[in-house]
Amino acid sequence: MTWRDEIVSALAATDIDVVAYLPDTPLGPLLDRLEETDVRIVPVAREEEAVGVLSGAWLAGERGALLCQSSGLATAINGLASLAVPAGIPFVAFVTRRGGPGEFNRAQVPFGYAMEDVLDAIGIRTASLSHPGDVERYAELAAESAFATDSPYVLILEPTLTGVKDEF
Amino acid sequence: MSSEVADQVACTAAVLSKTPDAAVVSNLGVASYVLAGVEDRPLNFYLWNSMGVTTAVGLGVALGTDRQVTVLDGDGSTLMGLGALATVAEADPPNLVIVVWDNRAFATTGGQETLSGTADLAAIAAGAGLEAYEAESDAAFERRYAEAVAHDGAAVVVCRVEAIDPDSRPPADYAHVKRRFREAMTD
Repeated sequence: MTWRDEIVSALAATDIDVVAYLPDTPLGPLLDRLEETDVRIVPVAREEEAVGVLSGAWLAGERGALLCQSSGLATAINGLASLAVPAGIPFVAFVTRRGGPGEFNRAQVPFGYAMEDVLDAIGIRTASLSHPGDVERYAELAAESAFATDSPYVLILEPTLTGVKDEF
Repeated sequence: MSSEVADQVACTAAVLSKTPDAAVVSNLGVASYVLAGVEDRPLNFYLWNSMGVTTAVGLGVALGTDRQVTVLDGDGSTLMGLGALATVAEADPPNLVIVVWDNRAFATTGGQETLSGTADLAAIAAGAGLEAYEAESDAAFERRYAEAVAHDGAAVVVCRVEAIDPDSRPPADYAHVKRRFREAMTD
């Protein structure tokens, strides 16, 4: 089972109805896999919209998941801090990290490196996933905890899990 | 500059009269204040912040229900999240109408001018791929809103209104507003 299979399986096991996303290189094949499932897939123009879409889905009685890159999560901080956290609206997020080991692009470093600190400061839990085999269990537990506690949960997919963008 | 504008209170009442069972998602500030004053109902989700995200919330609700969903957004919030119009056009849920109250002002921060005196929001919405209507009077709004609800796809109604400063407020307990709305949606 690859890490992508693990996420597909976890989304099904936790009854996720809708995925909002902006792509990243490692997420492309995952999105292709999800197209074959019953999950509704909503492409957005900017990641903060995804926070809105997934909040709306929860308000309508559904469960949502966000897929994006760390640089995209940076554009969503206002939606997280001013809607999902204060209203208590849950979803699970799978965020590919740029800016870590293997990064060549210094513009990816500040937020990619500080992501947990920023999320921690606004009261959003995170977990870092770097080992295939752990992903499904973490994803299921994080999603169930998000929906049980009315709060978003962000899972960070490390480059050691998803592969480094090779520009060296 | 148009000489005639619509009355946001009367037009908000017209929305609830035409679509009494609609789920309504309202932008922070005047849109929510007016909606709460016209009728504070469980199927109102008032945003207390997150300017620019209101329409995206409405899209998420609309994709998860067969019920009519109406967003009451503002010109400042729409301008802040123009990409959301493209996102809505791509998903194109037939049960979603986005009303943009265009008062040309940031009414909750002292009435400073927005960019909508220059930007043509209906043309931008149409350019994003949405069915777009304009209204500059109460009667025109009622007609355009009815057409937008009947349209088989997502639609936008840009309604030119005066900047007002209502006294009414929605419930301040955000979690309560959320829970009440979700329970009404899943009854």
